[in-house]
Order: sequence, then C-alpha cells, then structure tokens
Amino acid sequence: MITPHIISRAMLIAFVAFLIAAPWLIPAILNGFWVSVIAEIMIWSLFAASVNLLFGYVGLLSFGQALYFGFGMYGVAIGIATLGLSFWPAFGLGVFAAVAIALLSGIFAVRLTWHYFAIITVVFSLIFYFLAVSVKPLTGGDDGINFTLPPVFSIGDVTGSFSDANFQYFFILATVSLCFFLMHRVIQSPLGKALVAIRDNDVRAALIGLNVYQLRLIAFVMAGFLAGVSGALFAFFGRYASASYMFYHVSGEAVVWAIVGGVGTLFGPIVGTTLFIVIRELVSTHWEHHALIVGVMAILVVILAPKGLVGLWNEGLVRWCARAEATSARTDLQTEP
Amino acid sequence: MSEPVLRTENLTKRFGGLIAVNNLNLSIPSGRLHAIIGPNGAGKTTFFNLVSGLLAADSGRVFFKGRDITGLKPHEVSRLGIKRTMQIKSVFPQLTVAENLWVTRHATNQTLHPFRSAARDPETRERVELTLEQIGLRALAHRSAGTLSYGDIALLEMGMALISDPQLLLLDEPTCGMSPAETERAVEKIKQLTRKIDIVIIEHDMSVVFEIAEDITVMTQGEILASGSPDEISGDERVREAYLGRPEDEDYVEEVAHA
Repeated sequence: MITPHIISRAMLIAFVAFLIAAPWLIPAILNGFWVSVIAEIMIWSLFAASVNLLFGYVGLLSFGQALYFGFGMYGVAIGIATLGLSFWPAFGLGVFAAVAIALLSGIFAVRLTWHYFAIITVVFSLIFYFLAVSVKPLTGGDDGINFTLPPVFSIGDVTGSFSDANFQYFFILATVSLCFFLMHRVIQSPLGKALVAIRDNDVRAALIGLNVYQLRLIAFVMAGFLAGVSGALFAFFGRYASASYMFYHVSGEAVVWAIVGGVGTLFGPIVGTTLFIVIRELVSTHWEHHALIVGVMAILVVILAPKGLVGLWNEGLVRWCARAEATSARTDLQTEP
Repeated sequence: MSEPVLRTENLTKRFGGLIAVNNLNLSIPSGRLHAIIGPNGAGKTTFFNLVSGLLAADSGRVFFKGRDITGLKPHEVSRLGIKRTMQIKSVFPQLTVAENLWVTRHATNQTLHPFRSAARDPETRERVELTLEQIGLRALAHRSAGTLSYGDIALLEMGMALISDPQLLLLDEPTCGMSPAETERAVEKIKQLTRKIDIVIIEHDMSVVFEIAEDITVMTQGEILASGSPDEISGDERVREAYLGRPEDEDYVEEVAHA
C-alpha cells in the first residue's frame, strides 16, 4: 500500500540521485552555469535551515543569522589571506568563529522571546556589520577580502581542489548533506522533542523540568553552527568574504525562504531557497524588480499556506493517500460476491 | 511529628497594590490529600505559582520536605519531584498525546541525547504505554494534543503529571471543564494516586472537594481563613460568609440555593 511515508522516501531518493547526477545531467540539458547555481542553492539552503532550526523547532524568530554566516565567511578568508592557513584549519576557524559568537550573543538573546528576540538578533548583527565595515585593515570593509584557495587535500599526485568544478560541487553537496543529516538526527532525538515542546508551550516545558534557557541556548548555538558552515562554504565558493553578507537584509532573505518553504519541516528551507534563487536567476537578467515577485509569493504563502509549501504538500499527500485507500476499500467491497 | 511535605513561612506576593498572597503560613502534612478552596481571587493559584517557581515571592520562604526551595527556577522545582497541572489546561498542542507523555518522562530523569533516535527507547515507550492505559487515552495516542476535547486534555495533563513520578502533585482545578462522567473518572484517579503521592488540590467543585479531601484550607484575600477537616469546614460560619456572602445579600444566597 502507498503511504505518505513511502512517497516521501521515494522523493528523497530521487532528489539525492538528481543532485549526484546534476554535474553531468544539467550541462547536457541546460548549461554548466546551472550546476554552480545548484551549488549556491545548497549553501543558502543550509543558511535557511539555521533560521528554520530556531523558528521552526524552538519558536525563536532570528533576523540576525547573517552575523554567523559572516563570521564563517571571515573566519575562512582571514584564516587563508591573513594567517596563511591551509583549507581545513581555515574551515575550522570559520565554523569556530561562528559558533563562538553565537554562544556569546545567544547568552543575551535567548533570555528574550518573540519580537524582543527578533530585535536583539538584528541589533547584534548590525553592530558587527558596522564593525566589519569600519575595521578595514582586518575585513577589507565593503570591498571584502579576496583570496586564493589552497587545495582541500593532496595525497601524492592526487590533489582535490575547488578549482575543479565537480570537486567543488561534490564537496558542497557532501558537507550540506551531512549538516542536514545531523539536523535530522537532532530533530528526532530526545533533545529535538524537548525543543519542540518549548516551542509549543515554554511555561509547561519548564514545569515538566526542562531548562528552557539552556535548551534555547543550545539550539541557538547549533543554528550558529549551521549558518557558520554555510558561510564558510560560501567563502570557499566565492573565494572572498565581504561585510555586505553580514547585513540583516541577508538574514531577512533566509527568513522568507524558510517560511515560504515551510518552517518546522526539514526540507522546507531547501524548497524555499531553490524557488527564490531560481526565480532570481531567471528573472533578474530581464527585469530588475524580481524582488517584487518574491514579495508577492511570500505574502500569498503566508496567507494561504501558513505551513509553507512543504506543509501544503504534506497535507495534500496525506489527504490523497487517505482518499486512495478509501477508494480501494470501496472497490474491494464491490468485487465481493 | 514528621516533616510536612510543604510548608510556607510568611509567604507574600504583591501585584502592584494588590496583595495576592499575604503572609501565608501553611503547613501541609505528608500522606493526606489536602484541598485549598476559596472564592476567586483568593490567591490559590498564586500560591501554586510561588511554590512551582513561576512567580518569585516578595518575601517569605517555601520548604519542600524541609528543604528550602524559595527562589528556585520552575525546572529546578520540577526536578525535585514537585509537579503541577495548570488551571487553564496546558499541554504541547502540536505534539501527539504519546509524544507529550514521552517528552515529559524524558525531561525529568534523563539527559537529552542530541543524536540518538527518540523512538528507540524501550523503557520510556513502555512507560508511555502504561500511562496511556491509566488515563484511558490509548485510542488517541497518535492524535495531536491540540485537537483533543477539553476533558481529554485534562486527562493528558494528569498523565503527564503521573509519568514523571512526582513526589508532590499540585492540581489546579483538575475537574474544571470536565463532563460529569469525566469528573468521576478523574476523582477516581486522584483517590488512587493519593495513596502513593502527596497531593494538594485547588478545586471549586465542592462535591469533589468533600469527596476526596482529608484536610481543607480555605483562603480569602491571600490569607488563610480556616483550616481543618471537611466536617469542620462545612460547619464554619466564616467560610459560609466568604463563599455565600453575608445574610443581607439575600438575592445571592437565594441564587446559590437554587443553583
């Protein structure tokens, strides 16, 4: 019998197969440019996932995730360009910087909830944005830092480097997949259930013995980790870091992507990010006001499908399967003698 | 005499000019079901909030089995074994009934593992099954708690209190909003529980109170008006006055008499 679970599983397998085949499939159908768009979508999906982890699973709406994205970026860029680190230490530095600043700002931010939380996250990201713009010797300000990528590894004659487009693609795919897998595990774990409990009813959560503040902080740091990894990947991908990616506008975009795709679902951010980046790539060459389309769609989804596109899809799937089952049950009855 | 399970010393809570709980000295002995009654605004729920850490007292102390728990955070109080239900029923609406119980069980006695699957935990699963049986919600185990009827939510709340193995249970109007049949079921449950757990109950339904309570404390305006056995309380003139008004409020007395 076909259940929503089986269909979802099949779609996941097809989706992963498509991503693995894309570097060969896409140039054959469209052109190679779209492979790098997919790589970029994966990175931004991970960024949107960090918004989703906070908003969808703990109920904290952050408009400041770009701060951790930016720290991931700058960790990598400063690590390579200024400190002369090789690939992995620079990657580590980027993620560490993002997690550290998430912990530091989280200690203050998660004391608050709702709009107060949203405001303080914006304030934090603005403070560091202006700092990054003004400390030009370290950050390059608005111009940013350009750097030459060291190889990811080199064993004997074999060298893996981002200069190989396919290597770059699969490195990003593997890292993003790993992060999504970890997030999936966390959501299904006792910790994840506790986070959802806090999202649903924080007073009750405290009364059953959950340390609400501590758990929110853990989630905040985890979200900082996801944003940091995506920022570090984006630095490798673009070979540069810039303060403009720390602006709250970037955070806001991720919020829209996550909400339209569906917060509280693992794949919502991927769907939302894909949709909007594809629209941007298709429309922006012809029409500079592509943000209008984004705005209209965001409003429509929020009003018509509050659980986002993935939520809409899931509901439809459950209903369809229930109807299919009812129909087959009726046919069974009729065929009986 | 053994240590009382719950004791307060000069406990006071003000909201602006209003004194919700005024210099309360209450001692609740272990092993007896204690009911707190009183008209609306008497400070009963505020008292529960002070004990469970949702509110901070302005002055005074709270002792749980001789241990000073004044000023502890709600989760710290909860982990000592003091569990409560809320007057306005309060569960996790988007989790299923089973998940509500599940997360409650885990909140108290285990560190929250970040990566192990929540579904694979035979000890907790068995306990959830048992509790579903006890509260009679097995058939609804996989329904979202937010879609339950009010009475079922009340039962679920009771289940959540049970599954955490409390030492002291604070029930805030557990039968409020229940149908007569549900009330009967809940009363039965509370009677069973009281043999194992210390229970303090706030209740407006006098038939429930006089059926289950062994001791009754009457509060008005944040103070203890009277305290004693159900017989003593039902015969107390001041309690009648607090509840039914003075004799000159003829209309009100008549209204109540006809209700």
